[in-house]
Amino acid sequence: MTGTPLSPKEIDDSLAGEYVLGVLIGAERAEAENRAKRDPGFAALISAWEFRLGGLNAGYREMTAPNLFPAIEARLFPSAARAQSWHGRRNRLTSWFSGAVVAAALVAVVVAFVIPLRIQHVATLASETSTVGYEVGQFGQHLRVTRIVGAPADPGLVHELWLIPPGGSPVSLGLLESASLIINQPAPAVGWTLAVSVEPAGGSTTGQPTGPVILTAEVGADT
Amino acid sequence: MSDDPIAILIAKCASADRSAFRTLYRDSSAKLMGVLFRILKERAEAEDALQEVYTRVWLRAGRYDPIKGRGMTWLIAIARNLAIDRLRARPDAANDSALDTVADPAPGVESRLIAKGEARRMVDCFATLDPERAEAVKSAYLNGLSYQDLAARHAVPLNTMRTWLRRSLLKLKECLEK
Repeated sequence: MTGTPLSPKEIDDSLAGEYVLGVLIGAERAEAENRAKRDPGFAALISAWEFRLGGLNAGYREMTAPNLFPAIEARLFPSAARAQSWHGRRNRLTSWFSGAVVAAALVAVVVAFVIPLRIQHVATLASETSTVGYEVGQFGQHLRVTRIVGAPADPGLVHELWLIPPGGSPVSLGLLESASLIINQPAPAVGWTLAVSVEPAGGSTTGQPTGPVILTAEVGADT
Repeated sequence: MSDDPIAILIAKCASADRSAFRTLYRDSSAKLMGVLFRILKERAEAEDALQEVYTRVWLRAGRYDPIKGRGMTWLIAIARNLAIDRLRARPDAANDSALDTVADPAPGVESRLIAKGEARRMVDCFATLDPERAEAVKSAYLNGLSYQDLAARHAVPLNTMRTWLRRSLLKLKECLEK
């Protein structure tokens, strides 16, 4: 506890610690969050503090939570409920047809195993009014987002990709810059929305879209 | 990872295993509810946040690296981060009145900390800090207090509090990594 000023490295490290502690407010917290998105080194400092301070978690008491799991599932997997009711309506179809469906499904499964790296279409983000468009594909547990028309955002701005569960709030998937964006992320369920907003360089500072939303697409709507 | 069942469940979620996700909710939701309620102090908001937390957990499961630490620690980091974002976004965040009305359930905290082997080291390292500063770090972490809250609570200028905390964090890190 001397009066020696902190070195730049120590300042970065303590800033990451302050962010994890949660003591920063307003612009400072937002800035730290933004920096973590751009700067993997700083993101690693944050992650290290999260685990380092985890020793304090014993101070949190358990508290009975209501069973919110069905609501969480409904948010995440809306297609499951839909598929079930579809099945209910169709269950009187002749058995040869069901057999054919099962066979086709098996072929699909085999194909999926044999060619795991084939990129499968998830959604196209494009509109007549926008000069830019993106295509979202999936391979394995990853999504790939590629710009198919137009140019990246103007200097000082950036396109940010969002995933929105039905009835839920947007979750940022990352910033769309000149190269394709590869995200470690399983394909979203049918009925989820992908969206692109225009944000200040570095991305939204609030964790939610702040600029105009220029593109949206519902997963499964164009297939 | 074999001694960390939560870590195994998170890894299964990353490969889209929904029954593992259900088990993860069963085994971790009481702890995360405790975290969210402690910081947000409102049951309805904590319940809403809990849904959001598990949505994020499912979506981000692939980013969890068991080498870095325990699965529950990762889950709690997501819950704390969301709770603090919500707290700071409240209209009254600037002059947080909840500060004076909710007392720390302090005495139990220390003894529960000691009970856990992993946290034992944390207790030893906290003991190397000035007691008032150690208390500031702990209450910030557990209750989601801001610098403004802490400065008011300890009756010191904001910059002093910031210097205290930064130095304490670095000292803590040095001790934990010995």
